[in-house]
Amino acid sequence: MFAALYLPPLPGRAADARAQLMVVAQEFSPRVERLHDDLLTLDVSGLERWFENLRALGEALRATAADRGLAAHIAVAATRTAAVLCARGRAGLTVALPGQEAAWLASLPLNVLTVWTVGSRPLAVGSLHAAHPPTLCRASARPAVAFGEGGCPPPTAPIATFRRWGLKTLGDLASLPSVELSERLGQAGIVWQRLAHGEDLQPLVPALPDEYYEESLELDWPIDQLEPLSFVLGRLLETLCARLEHADRGVAILHVRLDLVGCQRFARALQLPAPMRDARTLRTLALLDLESNPPPAAIDRVTVAADVVEGRVLQFSLLQRALPAERLSTLLARLSALMGSDRVGAPTLVDTYRPGAFAMAPFRAATSASSALKKLPVVRRFRQPIPARVDVHQGRPLRVTSNRRHLRGGYVEVCAGPWRSSGDWWVTDTRPRKSALGSWDRDEWEVTLRDGATYVVSQVRHRGGWFIDGILD
Amino acid sequence: MPSATFAQLESLLSARKLDHTFSSHLPGFPGASNKQSLSPTGSAALDTLIGGLPGGQISEIVGPRSSGRQTVLVSWLAAATRRGELTALVDPLDMFDPSSAAARGVDLAQVLWVRGRALAPESVSLPHEMGELRVQIQRAVKALNLILQASASGGFGLVALDLGEVPVSVINCLPFTTWRRLHRVIDGSDTACVVVASDRLARSVGGITLTLERSNAEGAEGTEVAEDFIFKNSALKVMPHHVRLLPELKIEGRAIHARGMRTDRVVLSAACCLLPAVD
Repeated sequence: MFAALYLPPLPGRAADARAQLMVVAQEFSPRVERLHDDLLTLDVSGLERWFENLRALGEALRATAADRGLAAHIAVAATRTAAVLCARGRAGLTVALPGQEAAWLASLPLNVLTVWTVGSRPLAVGSLHAAHPPTLCRASARPAVAFGEGGCPPPTAPIATFRRWGLKTLGDLASLPSVELSERLGQAGIVWQRLAHGEDLQPLVPALPDEYYEESLELDWPIDQLEPLSFVLGRLLETLCARLEHADRGVAILHVRLDLVGCQRFARALQLPAPMRDARTLRTLALLDLESNPPPAAIDRVTVAADVVEGRVLQFSLLQRALPAERLSTLLARLSALMGSDRVGAPTLVDTYRPGAFAMAPFRAATSASSALKKLPVVRRFRQPIPARVDVHQGRPLRVTSNRRHLRGGYVEVCAGPWRSSGDWWVTDTRPRKSALGSWDRDEWEVTLRDGATYVVSQVRHRGGWFIDGILD
Repeated sequence: MPSATFAQLESLLSARKLDHTFSSHLPGFPGASNKQSLSPTGSAALDTLIGGLPGGQISEIVGPRSSGRQTVLVSWLAAATRRGELTALVDPLDMFDPSSAAARGVDLAQVLWVRGRALAPESVSLPHEMGELRVQIQRAVKALNLILQASASGGFGLVALDLGEVPVSVINCLPFTTWRRLHRVIDGSDTACVVVASDRLARSVGGITLTLERSNAEGAEGTEVAEDFIFKNSALKVMPHHVRLLPELKIEGRAIHARGMRTDRVVLSAACCLLPAVD
């Protein structure tokens, strides 16, 4: 059984009447569908046991709406379509018992069919198996989109055509022969006729309530240490995660808002690598973040909020033990707190010929396409090249020395090179960038000294300085 | 001793977990329990010799500078990432070169790289440098501990700590129980831990020590010997410019098991550390 609530446009109606209409509907059923701003349908199956009969249910709906100052049209019927058309076409309360929908709809004027073409939800094309079914669109908020088809404007009910034929009511339309109707209007005509019969073309799709996950606690006295804060966070997150568990949701972003002494507010947002709802892991991550970014004053109130997504479905392997996302997140947070957030991650190559260029990316335990194997030496690279003194004869290094301890150098026994490279000379932007080290133009040599160690040394061509770039190992 | 009594004694020892000795943990050792997991290293010569890298143990690659330590480590990382395993590299002096590792077949997306702070290029006072190095090494060991703890029940296949350019005097400042504690974290797991250093210091009982030695480059075809650059009875060898040095060098090493069990010397040329191309 379905009920429909319709607010006719009346002058002097309250501004929040539409919101009040939704509240009335939700008092009776959690499954409420908003077809239009002024038109709701709700599933009242099972409510007959709480009332004497369907009319008593309808009276209860009308009384509740009246208590809120709403003069709504109420209809109760066995089908959603019949309830909507009756509420749209008849004032007051209409109760159509099962099997009587056609009788109640027969006398309604044809223009009630316009409820399906002005600001209401689209019909499902698939249920009609029609080539050009009538589509229902949202008139106000978004441009009309045919459900299942690509952006065609929906046809309106051919009411003018029906009137030319001499039809006046839904009963007239319902009594037309289907074959002849389809010959003239195609499958769309059949759909309108089925609506005139009060048949449902798709199920009720209830509007879902906004999900809002937030827990807050006001402290009796301010705290300025992490240890007592961990107890507060643990308590709030336990409650939050229990709600998430019920709703099968995971936290994608965790917000921690602290109201500080002196009416200041301190907020942190943690982007999690994977949705999770383990209270202990979330508490650890929040504490590690606050340890790295401590609030400037004592805390009066703690609020945790979560941006949620649907829970993950994980398929574990019997053959391989994987690192759970919660444990990986905690590990990365601890490593970042220990070494620095920019010192932990996965290395990535950048599109440049600059020797030793790389970038750091978040470690996500993913695979990437492997490149072709090359027979190149493995270098231990000095991030900041060591200035060197090189004795040169006929363009070849003869002796390499430096002031760096454990890197004194010596005479060259074997050398290879030079390899000349240059780049970024076209960059004119002087702003500092992450990987911008300016242009380079250098000759690179590989030298083996008498102590047996092999180094990569380079000479900056336009300045003539020598540097030790790395060790071949 | 009668066989029934002997069998009873064995079962009693087994029940109290006293049936293991140092030797029974060694891979390939006669009578070894073979309970240890061995991961291929990617080098056929090395795998034939030692069976593979033992899981749940700390192994080490030691040798002087430019003996091929980093090349061997990168080849092990490449082998692990090719198997789909996650790897981690703790690099206290920030000397890892991603481009040469990628060229050697390492899937960088599966490498968790923990970087320390590189030392300043200019010369600083000895106490300052030693102090900085000690702090870096202590942080690196803590980071290694965190990674091994997270990996103890599954996760990373290979975790490496690169102390190749850290002076031995700085490493010796670590408590002597450091490596034993780290071994206990991964004992029984499939995670292999490798420490790269210039001298032996960290191997656990069931791990291996791969000692590498520099060998002289024999010179490529067409090498010029510049006769007029003779310095103190030595000659400067100049390689053709298209030749790079390290692939021409031979990496010779010896794997050492516990208690002085040494294998024969094995030659791992840098070229053979490359993995075969995927068909």
